[in-house]
Amino acid sequence: MHRRPAALLALTAASALVLAGCSAAEPAETPSTPVAGGTLTYATGFGEPTCLDPHVGGNMPQALVGTNVLESLFSQDEEGEIVPWLATGATVSDDGLTVDVALRDDVTFTDGTPFDAAAVVANVEHMKDPETASSTAILALGKVAEVTAVDATTARFTLSEPDSALQESLAQTWLAMESPAGLARGMDENCAGPIGTGPFVFTEWVQQDHVTLTRNEDWNSAPEGAAHEGAAYLDEIVWRFIPDSATRFAALQSGEVDVIDEMQPDNVVAVQEAAATGGDFDVLVGALPGASIRLELNSGYAPFDDERVRKAFIHAADVNPGIESLFFGTVDRSYSVLSSSTPFGASFESEYTIDSDLANELLDEAGWTERDAEGYRVKDGKRLTVDFPISTNQSIPAEVSLFEQIQATTKAVGFDVQLHPLDLSSWYGALAEWDFGVTSAIYTKNSPDVLRILYHSDNIQPAPSGYHPNHSHVSIPELDAALTEAGQTSDPAERAALYEQAQKILAEGAYVLPLYDHLSKIGYSTDVQGLSLLPTLQIPYFGDAWVQE
Amino acid sequence: MGLRRAGRIGLRVLGGVFVLWAAATLTFFGLRLIPGDPAQAILGGPGSQASAEALAAVRAEYGLDQSIWAQYGLYFSRLLGGDLGSSYSLRTPVSEVIGAQIGGTLLLAVLALAVAWAIALGLAVWSTRGGRVAGVVGSGLEIVAAAVPHFWLATVLVLIFSTTLRWLPAVSTQGPEGLVLPVLTLALPLAGFLGQVMRESVLDALDAPFVLSARARGEGESGVRWRHVLRHGALPGIALSGWAFGWLISGAVVVETIFARPGLGRTLLNAVQLRDVPLVIGVVLVVALGYVIMTVLTDAVSRVADPRLAVREREQERVS
Repeated sequence: MHRRPAALLALTAASALVLAGCSAAEPAETPSTPVAGGTLTYATGFGEPTCLDPHVGGNMPQALVGTNVLESLFSQDEEGEIVPWLATGATVSDDGLTVDVALRDDVTFTDGTPFDAAAVVANVEHMKDPETASSTAILALGKVAEVTAVDATTARFTLSEPDSALQESLAQTWLAMESPAGLARGMDENCAGPIGTGPFVFTEWVQQDHVTLTRNEDWNSAPEGAAHEGAAYLDEIVWRFIPDSATRFAALQSGEVDVIDEMQPDNVVAVQEAAATGGDFDVLVGALPGASIRLELNSGYAPFDDERVRKAFIHAADVNPGIESLFFGTVDRSYSVLSSSTPFGASFESEYTIDSDLANELLDEAGWTERDAEGYRVKDGKRLTVDFPISTNQSIPAEVSLFEQIQATTKAVGFDVQLHPLDLSSWYGALAEWDFGVTSAIYTKNSPDVLRILYHSDNIQPAPSGYHPNHSHVSIPELDAALTEAGQTSDPAERAALYEQAQKILAEGAYVLPLYDHLSKIGYSTDVQGLSLLPTLQIPYFGDAWVQE
Repeated sequence: MGLRRAGRIGLRVLGGVFVLWAAATLTFFGLRLIPGDPAQAILGGPGSQASAEALAAVRAEYGLDQSIWAQYGLYFSRLLGGDLGSSYSLRTPVSEVIGAQIGGTLLLAVLALAVAWAIALGLAVWSTRGGRVAGVVGSGLEIVAAAVPHFWLATVLVLIFSTTLRWLPAVSTQGPEGLVLPVLTLALPLAGFLGQVMRESVLDALDAPFVLSARARGEGESGVRWRHVLRHGALPGIALSGWAFGWLISGAVVVETIFARPGLGRTLLNAVQLRDVPLVIGVVLVVALGYVIMTVLTDAVSRVADPRLAVREREQERVS
């Protein structure tokens, strides 16, 4: 794996950026003592959950608000290593099929129900129950056949096949532990306020306006790596839903809210520049784990069923200038399918060179020799059209502009890229019907096992069944084998080799064009101290936060 | 004559019912004909993707696996029984969702209408009596105001009054200060529209014979303007207010989203994005009903303000 100096420089710049963001938030830099009390207002642009229980469905809005109320069995440190949380550790049997999870014996849910092995069993059963309509948790528990309580502090997971990602999966908020008594209230009531063990409690939900979280005075179960033990400092968090990014930023600037997420790149730069000279605001930046933001080329259907056409597209799509100008230097170009915060990512930069001569040659070879009056290539009377559905819920305006630049640069070699900005349902519809040539989809998962979900041939199910995370329609036995094996082995060296092999196949076959990390961009007033991002999903964590007068 | 009046009222009610049915039916098929899978949206949302089993379960639960005609029949038979159904995405009865959200939107719409009227009237009177320059300035202001899109106006107002001056909050608050910017965003363009039509008819009225005779009776300038000219000048504005109500609701979609206010507009936007058919139709029905009521009301107010209407009707009845 060779890196050019430019890439190295970019990498250094990226880590400097991340570090700059992190260090500013840590109390060490502004030596001040935590103050108890006060209300913090958080404004999210991720949207309002339709159900606060992250077992139901399972998306980012739920995880964001839920992380401060519901806790998981495990957490992860900055390097992605598993650390204890509600569980103290896990023992895996030699055949990898039995995992005994040891639990803390001193934790109680906020409704008084004790946290024990029976509670873990109830939670896993709830997630796997079709009535719960889980999408994320049920997928993460795919290899879990059964969970039983060996004794009060030991939950035994029996697996259908070894799962090296089990503890990582269990660290996600979508698989958080909720009070069994709370679950027993039924879906409607539990959706309105699931009961956990965390630093805050759901106390109010005014739909389309806010959710109120109130301090849990008895909290004693901070994840490993937390700055302090015992009850949180903040009395209350008001969680507001402000869909418009300009309004969100204005509300932060005018002091109406203290913390915002989903900041736009230009605002990030403005705040960072002001922060350098002692401004009132700062930014926390973290790379969301899982897949990087990337273009998936639909290799199952024309025209991208021809490897030469895929390669031509990748060698023609000159994205670097656009990433630099449109994102104001807030993101760095990635050549890896995996996010930089996910272990076992491998970069194959040489597969992604820009070379229009090569692209033209490949297209000629593939039979797209003629050009029509508008300069697009034509074969057998059909134009070289690539449909590109864009989810406007997921792609920020700068990203949509970048896609426009891809459209322009690939036009030079004769591609007719048709951009279709769509709302979420229509976009899902286009994907389900395989009605696209290229698309960009987000997949957040705190494990390299995300590669298996995205690129194993099991996950191409033809329409109309709907669901196929394998948008590239990759079906290669060698790749399937590597991904399956990597998901089963717990030997780090072997995992690394297998994941590198898998990513190499993807890069050489030109199935994916990696763009950059999916960044979590949190803006905050410098009155807020002790704010950090929980590494598992890069979600803002308020267990250690306080508001300075 | 009594029968005739009853007939007229009956026709109006029938017309209203037809409007409601047409609005609901168009919405139903419109939502189902655009691409997109409600089941995927119910389970999905940003950052998650559902399993085939979960999708099948949701489709069965909501009857989405049946033919579109069967779904239409099922939905309307329930609707006739007064049941708006349950929201797919919120898992709550539609009537409850609307009940919780309608207050904020009505308050916004009514206040915006009142402010728009006040601005339009003031502008009409000032610009018609202030000579040529005032006339040009007034009509210029009206044209600009009417042409300004809500999202742009909202952003500019926030930039001036929240970010720079820090006088008013950028997002909605429980108190009245949070209403100022949303109401102004809705009211200013509307005032432009109302002002344009009113100024024209004020100018017409100023040249009308009844103004001349009022002046001849020795009535003062302000008496002439407020008692006679404005009454005449307001007529097209009143007629326009029914239309304005519908227009305000569509503006509420933008304003509620930008200012993060709870309300029907934002509910509608979310519901459309999630293909939440019952909730969308519920909101559409409520808005259509409000539109029908407003039309009847503006009709009645027009009659009071303009006695000629009633006279004309009586004459027609006598003739036939």
